Amino acid sequence: MLGIIEALINGLLMGSIYGLTAVGLTLIFGVMKVINFAHGSILMVGMFAAYWFVKLTGLNPYLAILVVVPLLYYFGYFMQNWVIKPIFEAEKDVREPITVIIVTTGIWYVLDNLSLLLFGAEYRVVKTSVTGKIFEFYDMYFLLPKVIGAGITILCAIYLYWFLKHSKMGKAIRATSLDREAASLMGIKQSKIYNIAFGMGCACCGVAACVLIPFYYVYPTVGVPFDIKAFIIVVLGGLGSIPGAIIGGIIVGIIENVGAQFMASTWTELLLYGVFLFVLLVKPSGLFGMKQDF
Amino acid sequence: MKQLLNQKPIILLISALLLGALFALPLVVTSPALMQIFILIILYAYFTSTWNFVGGFAGVLPLGHSAFIGIGAYTSTVLFQTFGLSPWFGMIVGGLLAALVGVIIGLPTLKLRGAYFALATIAIGEGMRVLFENVKQVGPFKINGPSGISLQLVESSFMDFQFDTKAPYYYIILIMLLLVLLLTYFMMNSKIGYYLAAGGEEPEAAEALGIKVARYKLIALVISCFLAAFGGTFYAQLMLYFYPKSILGLDLSFEIAFIALIGGRGTILGPVLGALLLRPVSELTRIYLGSSLPGLHLIIFGLVLIVVMRYYPTGLVDPIKKLIDRFIHKPAREKADDLSNPS
Repeated sequence: MLGIIEALINGLLMGSIYGLTAVGLTLIFGVMKVINFAHGSILMVGMFAAYWFVKLTGLNPYLAILVVVPLLYYFGYFMQNWVIKPIFEAEKDVREPITVIIVTTGIWYVLDNLSLLLFGAEYRVVKTSVTGKIFEFYDMYFLLPKVIGAGITILCAIYLYWFLKHSKMGKAIRATSLDREAASLMGIKQSKIYNIAFGMGCACCGVAACVLIPFYYVYPTVGVPFDIKAFIIVVLGGLGSIPGAIIGGIIVGIIENVGAQFMASTWTELLLYGVFLFVLLVKPSGLFGMKQDF
Repeated sequence: MKQLLNQKPIILLISALLLGALFALPLVVTSPALMQIFILIILYAYFTSTWNFVGGFAGVLPLGHSAFIGIGAYTSTVLFQTFGLSPWFGMIVGGLLAALVGVIIGLPTLKLRGAYFALATIAIGEGMRVLFENVKQVGPFKINGPSGISLQLVESSFMDFQFDTKAPYYYIILIMLLLVLLLTYFMMNSKIGYYLAAGGEEPEAAEALGIKVARYKLIALVISCFLAAFGGTFYAQLMLYFYPKSILGLDLSFEIAFIALIGGRGTILGPVLGALLLRPVSELTRIYLGSSLPGLHLIIFGLVLIVVMRYYPTGLVDPIKKLIDRFIHKPAREKADDLSNPS
């Protein structure tokens, strides 16, 4: 019984990190109606950045957030501005922008293989001050970096939610995602909002990357499993919904960890795909999604 | 057919010469390694042409096409290994199985918007790979999990679909490709093709005109799956060894989608052009730079895709066609120009 509660809490911890990457994805989708297939690769870029930061400076891994998050914000900002925008503009009036989706897939392949070329295929770990530390709680044991990471991601998600609800920029972003034309009539510059939303989506990956570094391997295709999980999570929670992404992330984390108590971990992957397809078939708008979005 | 032959004589002549050259190729090329590259180009053009039925004409983006290719490869192979059934028979069984899976997947997902369909197909493709990697045996059929299947070698014969030389493989896949292209042509010019074109662009408007868009999309998907499985059987017989990662999963699915989009999705020759451009890149980089620069061909694919989508979002077939048209019709146009501005 204790084992199951332990798995449940582990799922909650890991799930909130999954949730934050999915928040980035869902934010971009909410504003642009584009699924960023390169999202996992951006997480990979963030993880390599954090890895080299810790490796070269020897500082606390959580300080890397201060460097990696702005880095990924501008990475996303300019990627949208230079690569995605011209294609998006050409396809603005199309209801289902397929070309943009496929271009983000192109970015995924370029980034993943570029890092394979630069860093090689080996799995890298970095020893930090929290690596391998255990957090004990009522006779249950958890990895300390996982606990800290989950805490940071939850705080970030709450801040992001507050930012979108109450700040001026957040309101402009929400207005654009509700109705592009009306928002631009109110004097909101759309292309700028798209750049900022894309940058913020990538910055979420930056936070997730930094909290993953103390207890997770880094390798060129590390983004792929996170990418696919983020897709599952955003559909589960409802595309475009931020609380949905966090709760979806926690559900996925719990399915994965509790499932692993009863079956081989390779089968839990299949279980996730099953849940995903089930949700798509039964309620494609997800738990918190708006009806018009599917 | 009449319409197909009703072209300018010069175009017919060039096409006939090209076809003749294609059929004469094995007489000239003797190196098996080079033949293998030609075969793979045609095979990928075939895969992509089957993708085109649903990805090109039905206006959705399938990213799990390898699932159906894998079903074809596994079905014919296990039937051959276990019962000694001819792979030609297994090919049909695999096609029917893939079509059935297509129906099961298509019925619920084709109603969804583009992004959701793309995500659902990714989940199906990856799910299929995970499933095949986790299962060692189903009843009497050995599929060996992640290590894959090596085909039992037999004497070269048509019934067993194994040959000592590359030429028979070349002719088989060439004829398969030509048949699929012909089918694509007929479909484009049939009622289904028109319905799909209407439904792909404006589903609501098409529905309002009484077209059951989802039904025709499903028909396109079933044809696509059925034919994709044939390609899977061919792949298995050509390579004589395959494993889940090589024939199922994301990489193959994405490569097919890339070829289609770079060549020009929804056109007859787009997949052929795409395969002709991209396949040699991946073969050559793999042969010459594979060990020192892994993954270089995928970087090139990605960059080419981004650039092509930026400047020719409908693919490269259109600009190339215009170029050829200009070349063929040049004299006529010059005459017209002379008439319109008499100096």
